[in-house]
Parts: sequence; structure tokens; C-alpha cells
Amino acid sequence: MKAGITRFPIFGLTILAVLLLAACAPWQPTLDDPEIAEQVRAPEGGGEPRGLQVYPLRNPAVRELEKAAEAARSEGDFDRAESLLERALRIEDRDPELLQRMAELQLSRGRWEQAESYAMRSWELGPQVGDICRRNWRTMALARERDGDVIKAAQARERVEICPVEPPERY
Amino acid sequence: MARKPRRSRKSRSAKKRSGARRWSRWLLRPLLFVLGLALGLFGPWVWWLDREVSLRFADRHLAEASRVYARPLELHDGLLLSRRDLLVELEAAGLRAGSPARAGRFRVDGERIELHLPAFDFPDGRQDARRASLNLNGGRVDLRGETTVLRLPPAELGRILPLDDRVRTPLAIEEYPPLLVAGAQAVEDRRFKHHFGVDPVGLARAMWANLRAGRVVQGGSTITQQLVKNLFLSPERSLLRKFNEAIMAVSLELRFSKAEILEAWLNEVYLGQDGRRAIHGFGRAAEYYFGQPVEALDAGQIALLVGMVRGASWYHPLRNPGRARERRDLVLAMFHETGLIDENTLRRQQAAGLGLRPSLRSGASQYGAFMDLVGRQLRADYRDADLRGTGLRVFTTLSPSAQRRAETALAEGLSGVEREPDSLQGAIVLVEPGDGEVRALVGDRVRGRRGFNRALDARRPVGSVIKPLVYLLALSRPDRFTLVTPVEDEALTVDIPGSGPWQPVNYDGVSHGTVPLLEALAQSYNQASVRIGMAVGVDALFDLMRRLGVEPGREAHPAAFLGAVSLTPLQVAQLYQPIAAEGYSAPIRAVREVVDRDGKTIARYPLRLKPLPQRESLALLDFALRRVVTHGTGRSLAGMLADDPGVRGKTGTTNDRRDAWFVGYTSDWLGVVWTGRDDNRPAGVGGASTALPVWAGLFDELPTRAVRPGWPDSVEWFWVDWPHARLAAEHCEGAVAVPFIAGSQPETLSDCLEKRGIWPFGR
Repeated sequence: MKAGITRFPIFGLTILAVLLLAACAPWQPTLDDPEIAEQVRAPEGGGEPRGLQVYPLRNPAVRELEKAAEAARSEGDFDRAESLLERALRIEDRDPELLQRMAELQLSRGRWEQAESYAMRSWELGPQVGDICRRNWRTMALARERDGDVIKAAQARERVEICPVEPPERY
Repeated sequence: MARKPRRSRKSRSAKKRSGARRWSRWLLRPLLFVLGLALGLFGPWVWWLDREVSLRFADRHLAEASRVYARPLELHDGLLLSRRDLLVELEAAGLRAGSPARAGRFRVDGERIELHLPAFDFPDGRQDARRASLNLNGGRVDLRGETTVLRLPPAELGRILPLDDRVRTPLAIEEYPPLLVAGAQAVEDRRFKHHFGVDPVGLARAMWANLRAGRVVQGGSTITQQLVKNLFLSPERSLLRKFNEAIMAVSLELRFSKAEILEAWLNEVYLGQDGRRAIHGFGRAAEYYFGQPVEALDAGQIALLVGMVRGASWYHPLRNPGRARERRDLVLAMFHETGLIDENTLRRQQAAGLGLRPSLRSGASQYGAFMDLVGRQLRADYRDADLRGTGLRVFTTLSPSAQRRAETALAEGLSGVEREPDSLQGAIVLVEPGDGEVRALVGDRVRGRRGFNRALDARRPVGSVIKPLVYLLALSRPDRFTLVTPVEDEALTVDIPGSGPWQPVNYDGVSHGTVPLLEALAQSYNQASVRIGMAVGVDALFDLMRRLGVEPGREAHPAAFLGAVSLTPLQVAQLYQPIAAEGYSAPIRAVREVVDRDGKTIARYPLRLKPLPQRESLALLDFALRRVVTHGTGRSLAGMLADDPGVRGKTGTTNDRRDAWFVGYTSDWLGVVWTGRDDNRPAGVGGASTALPVWAGLFDELPTRAVRPGWPDSVEWFWVDWPHARLAAEHCEGAVAVPFIAGSQPETLSDCLEKRGIWPFGR
């Protein structure tokens, strides 16, 4: 009897613990919980100062070289256009507009692989919306097409269509 | 007998007439014979000599050195540039302090710098001489609204010399200083304007003077004869040679003007040796002896060179300074005697020193290490003979100011870390990551010393510097590896077929248990790295190296995961270039463009981007390499840089501390530093203790912008319950933000999230 009495609380506590644990299980935090999913997300770059790609004013030196390159291109002097764009890229190697112009120049020179690389780089560093986004993907589509990669060209064509038309509204 | 009297009678009757006939018969016949012989034999000979002279004289320009230029500095608003660097660039480009009224001068006035840039023929067109001014405000360029981009003429780094061992800097006669043109005639050939190639009067005078002196005191050769001797003839002395020389001299005079002959002589005359190479012409001699263009020489320097024409080694200013000085003073006196210089100049110049270039004695060549690289890159595409002596202009990628900084950093860095003076050697390769252009290359701790070029030729084990590639391959399999994947850093044995078991140990001899992959790289744990390497495979590592343009060798031993692969500093730069360039690989190059003598581009090495397939995992690796310098083996960097722009890097130390490496990069620069001993003995060096301080000494001085990496869209960031592979939140203690390839983040959650009491009944 004594043994039974003394045994009861342990048995009871065990039951209770099991019940409690069982009760807990359905509420364990998971990534399906939007609040949790929000909490575990860290800022991109881990808090390191980061290049939000904002180009309020383009470097005037870059603009001038770009203009000269455009003039050379329209005269058909592709070598000169290329070396002028290179000079501009040495000053501002992350300018999406410059990179896209280089992509278009490479396209007119028939260098498909280079055209695709520059357009891809421009898209990555660019706003990924509007006109430049469409130019990026159109260049990639053309370059892939000429290079004989029909499937990837079609994928790029689809991307042209889904480029957001307008930049996001700012308040 | 009967006939004889008759004949004599006959002769008697016309004695006078027949005597004249006999005269003509006996004298004229041989004369005609000689004339015929001369016409038949010497005629063609003279004709041939004449033809040779005209052909070879016209051809002589072919042997012109090819020139190699640095990258031109492009100034624009906002460009980071210290005043010291700008001055180095201006001086390297050949500008000198002085009144900017003259082309090629600049003046510094507080923050303001006034320039008068000389004209320059760029590959994309001629840029005329122009005046400009700029301000340097707080280390940034301000062009004061005058222009948007200002391109300086590039520094000339050196020459690729013609094969015939003749070094020239040919100039047009108008470019020579008048004193040199007139003075050379006054000393060598006063009657140059009047004779026809040979000068019998001068020759007679010289012979008379030599007879009286009993030895050769005067040469009778005219400037034209000297030119013929220099251009066409071998140095042997013979009568035939003298004859040829005279004929050719006359032929030159008939075919070319005095000015053309004098110009050619000024450009061809022998003026000593530069090592094995002969120095020909006053232009080249001025650069060699005085380090100045010939236009800039003063009367004393001109007199020294003019005096050397008589005997370049007899009057050599270094080997025989006494004789050279005596000769110069004599020549100055002749200048004065002929009215070319006044009394005042004569006295002042005779009292002055020889004005030689300071580095002449040491034989230093400033950009030798980089020129080696240029030569190799060009020889990959051209035959040697097409490069030399063809007057090409080669436009390269070197930054003279960065080169100066790198040379100083290596010299001072090594002196600062070595225990015994001058025991260590080192090398630096500095590259712009985006386009792979080499900005600086140092192959010896002593500036300008030629010899073993360690940056290109020191093939050394790379140690842990290889590990990022191993980790890159692992991270490219996100299903298996992330930055927080637990890895065992415990003793292990790898069976190598054919060579028995291999048991790698850690640098500190301690195993660290289970650690996150990120930590294993940041702390450079060997046993964990070999485990990761075994999962990836040596073949994959070697394949990757080959794809990046570096041949790892044939022996695929797992010790390669720990850097038992011997590479040059340049090859290491090639391996890291795409890592530093966000996954876009570009070949490391030193040459941008080659232009021929007429300004036509014959080769361009344009910027080429090639995205690597592992671009997402590169973003993770980039994060890990940042961790190396904030929390890992390179954390001492923080104390060495005044301002950390967000450096990423990796240390490397090889067995017995023989080699120490540090490779580090920002968006603007990728720098590889190797240090060690030339004899490959244990050197007591370490990546963090020897190579890192050298690297930091360089990067502290380079103009560097803050790193702003652009991550691919498929990389997502999560808070991690460091060092466990569990997701956490920002408020959790010790939580670290870590990037993952989307979907590869851990699924388990930190206790911290539970403890915070997201109570099941609350919702």
C-alpha cells in the first residue's frame, strides 16, 4: 500500500508531463508561421554597408564618354566605341546603363557570349524594372538565339514580357 | 735586211709624226686599258655601293625600339587621389615642376594644381597639348567645371629593343638643340657644309697634324664618312674599306641633303654601351647618361656627349671620369672659340659636375618586373622579331602611383617584420578585380633591381590560400553544404593508393571538434578542410583551377586541399580574380592595345566578362572571406588599417613556416602578397604575421572605396544561432546573419525563439 501511495505522484507527474509535452507539440514555432519566418530573416549583406543601387546623378565624365561612344558607334567605328565604353566602365564599373550599352555594342559586333554577359551584369546591378530591364532581356534573348540556344532564348523572351513596367511608387 | 733601210727611211721622213704616234701607242693604250678595266670592274662595284647606300639609308628607320606605356590616368570629378600619388603620376608621365606656360610643366599652389599637358597620340586619336587646372579637395579631384574628363599622357615604362642591339631614340633634326647640331659640326667636321662627303683639305690637315705629332691626333673622317662607317661597314681597317667608305660617302651626298645626313648621323653615332647593348644617337645617349630628353640638356651635358664621339669608351664618364671631364672642358672651349657659347657659360659649365643620372651607377630599371610580364603576354601572340625594332607602341595597364606604393609597402613591410635584416624576400601582384588588369607588380624587395622576378617566377606552395576554392566547390552543392553545416575537425586518416595513409594535422596541433563550415574556413582548420575536400574530390579542385586558367600539376594528392600545390603569385591572383569580381572571370592581363608605327591598332585585348557557374556560392564564399578578417586568422588586420573599407581575404602559411601568403580584396583592388626566403629554408614567416602586414601597408595607402557587394537574387539571409545550424532571430544572443542559397537554410529553430514564449495558448 505504502509503495502504491508513494508511487502514485511519480506516475501522475509523468502522465502530466507527457500530456503537457503533447500539448506543446502543435504550437512549436515553425517556418510556416509568417511571424517566425519574418523574424529569422536577416537584412541582406548581414548589416554590412550595402550598395542599394541608387544613381541619382550619373558621373558627367561617364556621360561624356558614353556620348562619344554612341557617336563612334553610329559612324560604324566599333573599335573606337568599344574603347570609349571601356574607359567609361573603368570609371564606373557598376553603371547598368553603361553595361547595357556595351552589351548592345557586342551584339552589333556579333560577339554573342559577351553581349549576354554584359546584359546579365547590367540586369543584376540595375533596377530590374522598366525600359532597361526590357533591353537587358531582349539583348540576352537575341544573343542566345544567335548563339543557337533556342530554349534559353525563349526563356529570356518571356522575361522581357514580365519586366515590371514602372518603377515602384515612392512616397 | 733589205727592208730595214727602207723602213728607216720612211721613219726618218716623218720623224715628228711617228714619234707622237708611238707615244700614243705606248701610253694611251694602257690608259685606255685601265679605264676599260676600271669601267668594267669598278663601275659595277661603284654602282653596287651606290645602290646599297641608297637602299640601306632609306631602310635604316626599321630598327626602332617599340615603346611601352603605362595606363593613362583619367581625372574626373570625385576621383579619389592623394596629392602624393598625383605628383608621382605627373612625374612618371614626364611632366616637371615649373611654369605651366610651357608644355610639360605643372605648378602646385596649395590645393590647386595647374597643368600644361604635352600632346600625345593615343590609340583613339591625338590629344593636343592643353592647359588645365584642378583642385584636390580632401583627396578628391575637382576639375572646377572646366572639363568633365582629363586624360594625362601615359608614362613611358620602357622599350622593347631591336634585335640588332642598337638602341635609339631617333629625333628629327629640328628637335635637337641648336647648340648640339652646331657644336657637333664645330668639333667633328667644321667644313661639313662645304665638302662633298670626303674632305681632302681636312684629310691633308689631319695627316699633317698626325705627322708632326708622330701619332694619330686628328681623324680626317667627315661626318658623312662616320655615318657610312656606323651604318654600313664593319669595324676592320683596310684600304678597301677606306675606298668603299669614300665612294659611299660621296654617293650619300649626291642622293641626300646635308640636313638628312646630319640628322641620320645625330641618330646613329656610337656613344657607348648599356650592358651588352650599344647606344646609338644623341637622343638615346641623353636618356641613358642623364635621364633626360635631349632637348633638356645644358651646354655642359651636350659638350660631354659631343666629346664622346671621338671615343665613347675612352671618354666614358663613369669608367674614366677624369678623361671625360677634360674632354668636355676642351669641347666647351671649342664651343666658345667658335662663338657658340659666351664666356660666362663657358666658365660656369667648366666648373659644373658631369650631371649624370643618379641611377646610372646602380643600373636600376624602374619598371623591369612589369615589363617582364608585358613581354610574356606579347610573346604569347607575336614572334619576337615582330615586336622588336618595329617601332610599335604598347599600351599597358600599369598604374605608376600604385606601383610606387607597392614597392614601398614590400620594402618597408619586410624590414618591419623580419628578425634578421635582409633575410626575407617577397612579391606583390596588384590587380583591378573587375577587368583583371595588373596595376602593379613587384618581384623583389629592392626597388628597380633586376634579376629573379618572384611575382612571375617564384613557384611556391600556396598553403591555406587554396582553401577558398575547396569551400567554393562544397558550397556549390547547397543540398549538402551551407556556411553553417557542422564539420568535424578531428584526426583523420586518408588512404592514398600507392603511398599509404596520410594524417593531416592542424597548424596549432589541436583538433577543434565540430565546428560550422564557415568557422573552419575563417580559422583555417586543416582537418575539417580535408574532410570537406574529400567530399568534393581533388579532381574537381584541379578542374576548377584549370578552368580559371591555372595549371595545378598532375599529382592529384589530397594534400592539395591544404595547399600542397606550387603556384606563382601571379597565378594566385588569377585564381582569386573571379572571387573578387563577384563571379565574373576575366583573364589577368598587362596589355590593352598595340599600335603600329603609323598609329594603326594591330591588337586589342578588350575587357571580356565570363560569368562562372558557381556565382551563388561565390557570394557565400565572399561572406566567409569577410569573416576571415573580422573573426578569423586575419583579424589582426583591423589594427593595421586606419579605415577598413570591407576587406575580404585569406592567409596562408606553409610547412615549417617557409612561405607566407595573404590575398585580400576590395571592389577596387585585389592584392596578392608572398613572403619567404629565396633558398626555400624555414623562414619563420606566417600569413598573418608577415604577409598580412605587408598587404595592410599597401592597402592603407591605396585610394579605396567602401565595398558594396551585389548579391545574386537567389541568395537569402537568415539569423543563425551561432555556432549551431539553427535559425534564430536578431534579438537572440550571439545571433549572426548568414547568407544561404535560397532553400538551403536550416530547418531547425533556435531555443531562443521558443523561450521567448510564443505561447501556444496565446494565439
